[in-house]
Amino acid sequence: MPLAAGEKQDSRLTGNDSTDLALFVRTTGEDITGWDRQRIVDALLRETLVDRGTAERISLEIEETVKKGAIRTITGPLIREMVNSKLLELGLEDARRMHTRLGVPLYDVEQLLVQHNKENANVPHGPEATNLTLAEGIKKEYALLKVFTDDVADAHLKGDLHLHDLGFIDRPYCSGQSLEYIKKFGLNLPHALSMAAPARHADVLLAHMVKFAAALQSHFAGAIGWDAVNLFYAPYLEELSDREVRQLAQMMIYEFSQQAVARGGQAIFSDINIYWEVPKHFENVPAIGPGGEYTGKTYGEYEKQAQRFAWALFEIYREGDAAGRPFFFPKPLVHITEKFFRTEGHEEFLELICAVAAEKGNTYFVFDRGDTAKISECCRLSFKLEESDLEDAREPWKMRYSALQNITVNLPRIAYRAKGDDTRLFALLTEQMELAVKGHEQKRRFIEKLLNMGENGPLSMLAMKLDGQTYLRMHRVSHLIGMTGLNEMVKAHTGEELHESDEAMKFGLKVIAHMNIVCNRLGEDTGLKLVLEQTPAESTAYRFAKLDLAHYPDQAREMLQGNLEAGEVYYTNSTLYNVGAPMGPITRVEREGLFHPLIEAGSITHVWLGEHQPDAKALADFVVKTFRFTNNDQIAFSPEFTSCIDCGRTARGLTDTCTFCGSDHVDGITRITGYFTRISSWNKGKLGELKDRYRNRFGD
Amino acid sequence: MTLFTKSDCSLCNQLKAVFDLEAMNVNIEELDKGGAASLAHLAWHGLVDDARKRLPLLVLDDCSTLTDFDQIREALAARAGQVPDAASCVTEPGAGCATGACSL
Repeated sequence: MPLAAGEKQDSRLTGNDSTDLALFVRTTGEDITGWDRQRIVDALLRETLVDRGTAERISLEIEETVKKGAIRTITGPLIREMVNSKLLELGLEDARRMHTRLGVPLYDVEQLLVQHNKENANVPHGPEATNLTLAEGIKKEYALLKVFTDDVADAHLKGDLHLHDLGFIDRPYCSGQSLEYIKKFGLNLPHALSMAAPARHADVLLAHMVKFAAALQSHFAGAIGWDAVNLFYAPYLEELSDREVRQLAQMMIYEFSQQAVARGGQAIFSDINIYWEVPKHFENVPAIGPGGEYTGKTYGEYEKQAQRFAWALFEIYREGDAAGRPFFFPKPLVHITEKFFRTEGHEEFLELICAVAAEKGNTYFVFDRGDTAKISECCRLSFKLEESDLEDAREPWKMRYSALQNITVNLPRIAYRAKGDDTRLFALLTEQMELAVKGHEQKRRFIEKLLNMGENGPLSMLAMKLDGQTYLRMHRVSHLIGMTGLNEMVKAHTGEELHESDEAMKFGLKVIAHMNIVCNRLGEDTGLKLVLEQTPAESTAYRFAKLDLAHYPDQAREMLQGNLEAGEVYYTNSTLYNVGAPMGPITRVEREGLFHPLIEAGSITHVWLGEHQPDAKALADFVVKTFRFTNNDQIAFSPEFTSCIDCGRTARGLTDTCTFCGSDHVDGITRITGYFTRISSWNKGKLGELKDRYRNRFGD
Repeated sequence: MTLFTKSDCSLCNQLKAVFDLEAMNVNIEELDKGGAASLAHLAWHGLVDDARKRLPLLVLDDCSTLTDFDQIREALAARAGQVPDAASCVTEPGAGCATGACSL
């Protein structure tokens, strides 16, 4: 209540009494100041829409409370929470929201400082990672309060949807580009301390590539992909010996795999797209060489140099790191096309990359059938090149693609809510997709606002216009809609998992076909480029499972995969079959591949190898058959390793002790979703999945 | 037998005009009208990418697929021969797509 006129204020509060009983406020500005009620009034008037009278009233009531509490030191956050409490008492919910303080409890910070955050297995444990997690925590809260409307934010919080990378709300999701941009323009970033002209030597180009990738990592939430790396390097290789080319390949792989000094101590999630042949859309493109100058040749004339580099890269992948472990990054994605099979030397190259796949698991096989061309990255994402993109290929520095955001639908929950009713199930699915699109529009508006601040804004790098267009080409960005747990949705709705009957599989196809149609329709309605993607779901599959266990316990207990007692629960990723289903690799690749043409932004089938090391020729045969006789978009083979921390050696298979020295100080290594990493960094859901994986053997 | 078509596909419409597909017990899937069920059926046969290039597509009873228009026409003519009055005339071989809409 306001003080009555003439009423005397407590001297401790007014500070008139200069004794050590004066009340001090520890502010968020890192200083200690005397109590000043006016600060409450100022904050309320600045941050909310309450009138001055109400602000004054609240400040006086807070002052009264503090006075009664006989508190010596009070913090700024506590005062803010007391004010928020008053706002709620007065029914001023909107004002309370605007006055919210984003922060982290002391206990949580202590936990974060000492315990490993396993939301993303690519984030190590250390001070940089702690900074990342804390910053992400605040930005997540901001995003849910300010960027997204309540219905979208609530859908995320409840687990109907998953808004990916909320902690990176002020960045697009991921980026794919070609080396041509830095070859042509050099390393010329806004506000950089120095500017580098286009590289004249291959090793300098590599330095530019790595630094540019690090700069991109700090402007995108996820993967940084590079198109046709071996081809665009080719004009720099003509004067180099085989030994020098091999050295360059080694430097590239080590630079990307060891760069744990960037954002949050993370290695950059990097992908390099590799072609044995010169893709048709680059054949007649004038090549850019040293100094950013045209060489006078077309890329079609650099086939042999490009092949030399591709070969060297895979020789390095085959060796692994100094301890014989597979390199985690950069992920090599080899495009298998019709032209691949018409290009001299393809048999030997296929055998080499299959040997790498069998021994180390690195190779991704990306199938571009017919006239399809695409840039692949992340765990399975691909940007299909449309007619206008192929036009851009004449000036390849223009080829910059980005997915602005990824939003995933919790499919099993829809089945729980539909209770066996087909009509309701598809209606709910449509409803969730509409909400996801609403979320996309909101994120897009936010990014556009930041981007429109231009070179002095927070996204100055993405706003730079070295070729006349902003680096982030908003008219070309896509918006991803993902799905998790189709297998469990189908089981909940039909009683069978995808692999258990044709009827279950056909229902699964109908769900994804429905998503495809709705996605296209909503894209036409909104003008957004909306595309379906198989969500990698490294943490989403675990998060949805836990939330469903809390909100739909009876149904979820019956449908979840993993070990309920150990808390290692998960839903099957995207449209994949149950990872534990005992089926041959051909059947899995063929059946899962039926979904892939409906999911235009990328799909993959994993073949889990365990300790088995197949023959490279057998894998090559498998890859060719997959290309020729299935619809599968992408495959990867995943062996498992045990790395000894004591003796530094690496053995095939997952064991509790080192097979060389007997130490139990070991860590497992295998693919979590789309990339290799240490198993000790996995979340509980993925650990549950690892135990369930059915390992395939070739040749049995 | 299933014939995958689209309502504005001129090649598809040629076949529909010539053959009494219902009498021939040929299932017609109109992809622009059939919604998710038709698209899922197409995906089940692994024909989504084919349909994006060309329509019509014919899936035979043994689950093999014909994508070439002339071959489809011939297969339907052979089937029509087993059903009295199922074909009203014979289409010209190599008929082209008049509307440009003969794909998904």
